Amino acid sequence: MIATADSQRRWRRLFLIVGAIVAAYALLAPLTSLDAAQSANVPLLADKFWFRIATYVVMFVVMATAWNIIGGITGYAAFGNVAFFGIGAYTTGMLIAKAKWPFLVALPLAPILAALFAALVGLPLLRLRGHYFAVASLGVGVAVGELVQNIDYNGQPVFGGASGLFLPIYAVGHRGLFFFYLMCGAAAIAIAVTWWVLRSRFGYGLIAIRENEEAAAVLGVNTTAYKVGAFALAAALTGLAGGIFSQWNVFINQDNAFPIEYNVQMILMALLGGTGTVFGPAAGAVLLQLLIQFLGGSLPISIDLPFVSTEARPIVAQVILGLLLVVVVIFVPRGVIDFFGGRTRLSLSYLRRSLRDTSL
Amino acid sequence: MAAFVQLVILGLLAGGVYVAVGVGFGLVWGVLNIVNLAHGALVIVGGYITWQLFTAFGLDPFLTLPVDAVALFVLGYALQRGVINRIIRAPLLFTFLLTFGLNLVIVNILLLIFGSDFRSVTPTYSGQGFEIGGIVVPYVRLTSLGAAILLSAGLAFLLSRTRIGLAIHAIAADRDAAQLVGIDLRHAYAVTYGLGAACAGVAGGLIAMIQAITPTAGEPYTLQAFVVVILGGLGRVSATVVGGLAFGLVEAFGQSIPGSGSVFANAIAFGLMVLVLVTRPQGLMGRLR
Repeated sequence: MIATADSQRRWRRLFLIVGAIVAAYALLAPLTSLDAAQSANVPLLADKFWFRIATYVVMFVVMATAWNIIGGITGYAAFGNVAFFGIGAYTTGMLIAKAKWPFLVALPLAPILAALFAALVGLPLLRLRGHYFAVASLGVGVAVGELVQNIDYNGQPVFGGASGLFLPIYAVGHRGLFFFYLMCGAAAIAIAVTWWVLRSRFGYGLIAIRENEEAAAVLGVNTTAYKVGAFALAAALTGLAGGIFSQWNVFINQDNAFPIEYNVQMILMALLGGTGTVFGPAAGAVLLQLLIQFLGGSLPISIDLPFVSTEARPIVAQVILGLLLVVVVIFVPRGVIDFFGGRTRLSLSYLRRSLRDTSL
Repeated sequence: MAAFVQLVILGLLAGGVYVAVGVGFGLVWGVLNIVNLAHGALVIVGGYITWQLFTAFGLDPFLTLPVDAVALFVLGYALQRGVINRIIRAPLLFTFLLTFGLNLVIVNILLLIFGSDFRSVTPTYSGQGFEIGGIVVPYVRLTSLGAAILLSAGLAFLLSRTRIGLAIHAIAADRDAAQLVGIDLRHAYAVTYGLGAACAGVAGGLIAMIQAITPTAGEPYTLQAFVVVILGGLGRVSATVVGGLAFGLVEAFGQSIPGSGSVFANAIAFGLMVLVLVTRPQGLMGRLR
């Protein structure tokens, strides 16, 4: 159902206003945790706990937005982007822990190394299409994590091995605040880059590749360079998130720097929000990450699930997440941003149409 | 030399499991164009059925394999008919995500039922074997390889000699043309996925005899099934058999490299897969389509 132009404009304005208010609260509420604000009794208090959740949410905003560049705009279903997150994390981690570099000097190398790696593996991988690219990128994601954990030199693990890598704590006042805003900065960069890509010659080339790669090549788009560029750009942003994560979390190992489930989570977020758009992946990341944390019982506001014991709760949360994934893929394949943007309204006929479009 | 032969024998025997895991995955991928990320979860469902029958009734684990096949066929048929058929015309990313969601649901339901303890199936003859000229051949591995070859032969027979098998071939060639000549697509799709799931179930039964299983133990097998199918080449059962045996050999030799142990097995397998994809995308045995 296409809404009329008038109601579309109204919906869009409402969406922008509500979005701006929510974003402003999310960005400013942490400031109320400062001592000065506490003693002045500023309302809308945020506690320390909030930073961890909020920083995680923003980290996924970066990753989902970055995935959108290769997966959404270019149309290459990358399933191994977590490799870039891990490479970013280990680059910063190694430089700080072993070479004793200061954090802010080590951080810029994380996106650079991740992008170089992406360009290197991208040259052969991006010749593959469809399933083959997805599978091969997944393989790279798994293999990199395994190599990082297991490479030995003279019997000593080079990257900390199975016991992981400990970083010195970064000495800065209000650490939680610092890393939250740093991650927000990374998210702002990611969104700005997406905005720029969608309005540039480069972005038009990528969209042409997504729609029809042969036609794009015939029109003079250097498809190999464009695809590798998009892959490296996505890798750089993901690596930046990884670099910040390593110093923020102080400890990295294969489990938290190369978690396979992040691959699917960032894709689902981009999909839920709407692929190929500027703000869609960010919106999807906020929604889904909050839901994951909520189901896992780690949000300050939480409800007891009926018939579920405390031990079984994380497992049931995963079942719900899986069912949600199934429902989203079947019923809202174009993402929820369409509803908020005023392009369509959520209705039974919309769901029925989505179902019919893709059914056998 | 004896060590080399031993390595080859062990690699081929280990390949039996990969053949069993690969054939179902390759069938679903080749015919339905679905990369089934829930394959590993289905494998482990089969493993738990074998474990349950073995511990509760003392059934010989090899006798439980038909039960695995039938139960998983029913489950697979229902999944395809009820859920996956809904997104067949969507872009491939959606089938990825959908099957990953199913994987999540199945694995976590298994966790709720069986917990995360390691379970193993140990019939009296497990751990035993015979020896020819210094080469050790374990019984369970040998019988597994036999069962996997039998499974593949059965599947190949079904696909080439029965009515539904021909229908499946027709779908793989051209879905819309198949519908035009009167094939009930929904049913045929569900049967294909059911057959793939049945193969996964048998593979799970074999795996339960070889290693201790947990609900999350299936994930590596999904990835390995990818590699096996790509190694052999998509579209034929015999190619997957070759791919599975080749994968077993590569794994055995990879693990024997001094200082690497078993930790690089996945990295070697995936490195090999990327190499094959880039240099010979149709696989070792495949034809260009």
